[in-house]
Amino acid sequence: MNNVTQIVQKYRQASWRVQRQWIGLFLLGLVLVAMVAGIYLNITTQANLAGRQVQNIKDDIITNQRTNADLETQLAALTSTEAMQKRAQDLGFQPVAPGDITYVVVPGYEPKQPIDLTSNVTSPANAIILPEYTESLFDWFTRELVSSAPSGGQP
Amino acid sequence: MKNPRNWRYLVVAICLAALGVAILAQIFHIQTSPEAKTILNGNDLYNYAYRTYYPPRGEILDRNGNLLAGNRTVYEVGVDLGAMQDPKNIALAAQMYLGLDYNDTLNKIQNPKPGVVYLVLKDDVAATTADDLIKLQKAVQSDPTGNTLDGLAFNPHLQRSYPDGTLAANILGFVTQDERGYFGVEEKYNNILAGVPVTLLVPTDPNRAEELPDIPSGATLILTIDSDLQASTEQILDQAVQDTGSASGTVVIMDPRNGEILAMATTPRLDPNDYSKYAQVFPGETPFNRAVSQAFEPGSVLKILTMAGALDSHTVEPSTTFMDTGSIVVGGATITNWNNGAWGQQDMTGCLANSLNVCLAWVATQMGNDNFYTYMKRFGLGHPTGIDLAGEVGGRLKLPGDGDWYPVDLGTNAFGQGVAITPIQLVMAASAIANGGRMFYPHVLQAIVEDGKQHNMSPQLVGNPISAATAHTLNEMLAVAIETEGSQGIVPGYRIAGKTGTAEIPDPTGGYDSNYTNASFIGWGPVDDPQFLVYVWLEKPTSDIWGSVVAAPVFRNIVEKLVVLRGIPPDNVRLQLNGQ
Repeated sequence: MNNVTQIVQKYRQASWRVQRQWIGLFLLGLVLVAMVAGIYLNITTQANLAGRQVQNIKDDIITNQRTNADLETQLAALTSTEAMQKRAQDLGFQPVAPGDITYVVVPGYEPKQPIDLTSNVTSPANAIILPEYTESLFDWFTRELVSSAPSGGQP
Repeated sequence: MKNPRNWRYLVVAICLAALGVAILAQIFHIQTSPEAKTILNGNDLYNYAYRTYYPPRGEILDRNGNLLAGNRTVYEVGVDLGAMQDPKNIALAAQMYLGLDYNDTLNKIQNPKPGVVYLVLKDDVAATTADDLIKLQKAVQSDPTGNTLDGLAFNPHLQRSYPDGTLAANILGFVTQDERGYFGVEEKYNNILAGVPVTLLVPTDPNRAEELPDIPSGATLILTIDSDLQASTEQILDQAVQDTGSASGTVVIMDPRNGEILAMATTPRLDPNDYSKYAQVFPGETPFNRAVSQAFEPGSVLKILTMAGALDSHTVEPSTTFMDTGSIVVGGATITNWNNGAWGQQDMTGCLANSLNVCLAWVATQMGNDNFYTYMKRFGLGHPTGIDLAGEVGGRLKLPGDGDWYPVDLGTNAFGQGVAITPIQLVMAASAIANGGRMFYPHVLQAIVEDGKQHNMSPQLVGNPISAATAHTLNEMLAVAIETEGSQGIVPGYRIAGKTGTAEIPDPTGGYDSNYTNASFIGWGPVDDPQFLVYVWLEKPTSDIWGSVVAAPVFRNIVEKLVVLRGIPPDNVRLQLNGQ
């Protein structure tokens, strides 16, 4: 008992120890704040970078769409009826008259079908986006809570 | 033991603390001052901007997938006044590359209105021109003398483009700079083609980058038009208008089995890429598309509808005879034949073959007012057909009881005078005769492609104005009629039913101008299985006034092209192939 009392007394006498404690606590707090600030800064920067990348990709998509439209129009101009007629004539072809044609039966021939431009590509809006990319921490916590809850007793 | 220097530390600590407090106080003061609110609002204004995103306009394709209307990149060239360094250089470049006046441009960019930070110099600049200007801007960017083009800005965007120029221009219409469609398909389906523009509040702060929503493009339209047939038809029509000295020409080709318009050519035509010439190409009240927007008195081609009604109502039979004395009095007025001659005894086929006004006026009187006009209304005369092209008019069918209807109208209407219809109305009505009595809405839209899905349009039945038996009988009569007549509309190898028309043109005084006519021919084939119906109308031909002389050969030329392009074999071959 005396030993304990002595230690407490000596400790109290060394005031620098108390100061060191406070300094230690302050530094601990400072480190925590710095860590949180660092993490926040990191996440914010990443989010901003990702946002900027998405914007750039969107811009690229718009540019590509414009290029596609340009190319389609150029192709259409190159294959226009007038252009094709001129090219055919330059190559020595002549317009066919009804009497020049010989019609024959070709077994299995499929006449030209109406065009079908139905696309098989899934639209971006329908693409499956994992919840990790859309939900908040609170949403995740709620989801985990709900999924881990018992689903009712067994009979 | 106290350190004698402690008071110095205390003073330094107090000073630093006071400085800190002062900084905090100043921060607080700035944040809560009245000016702070203005600054914050100002920041908000600059941090966000409203931007409208226009989806790319949908394409227009013909029935075979050929592009009739697409988009191309053009540039809006402007000046960012804040970044501008040398206005004279910019004005000079604008003059050289954009064709703008140097002094006007210089004045505009040197003396902008208060608050203006960006000025548009020119929009819809071709990509090649803009590329040249961009290259020049980059080349002089590091000019040590400061003669740069800094501040010149380029905003690319899509603009409507028609790669075939004037081809099918009267069907397509055009799109103006404000992305609005005018005439034809562009106007009729403007909402579907244009898509839905989206206006968003977009952050300009790079740290607030936000994802833009997907803005779906406008729908793509597939038309029933065959661009090869359309091109051939336009070439033949243009040549015919030139050869006959006509004021204008119109041709409509329809598939009578379903109402699909395969080609529709009219003159004049505007290159929709250069719609600014609209007033030049269509002076005064010239319609953009005569096939749907110009009503006129069609003349003898309307006799086929009179005869159809008379046969269907059992007023006459093909063998019914009529003694043509050269004139008939209807409603107190005397009606004569086209040559003022008397043609003697004729059966109904003879009346059609010789295009006898007197005979058809007599047929109409035998039908009576109620019967005759009931059939005309059944054929759709007097109101728009509902074709999916903008600007359709309904024509004028005067009816008993109307203030401007007189008893003589029954006689004159029977041979296509005193009644105003559009070419498309006549085509729809005649399609009932060609198609076993079934009449379909004429249409140019075959399918809509939206969100990767294609929605095909189904033919819509208007009605059955006449029975299948009547249609069959009249088909035979009309085929025999043009064979008997030795018409120039006959196409070797194909049995055609048809009728010529030569109509006098009413003048403003209420009479008729005897110098000019509307010459026309309507025909379809093959008679036993009609797959096409062609109507040719030449307005005021000067080489000859008769439809049988000027319009019938145009019909033949078009059909000769049509059967090749549509793969329709001659009758003997077709019947032989069908039999195998």
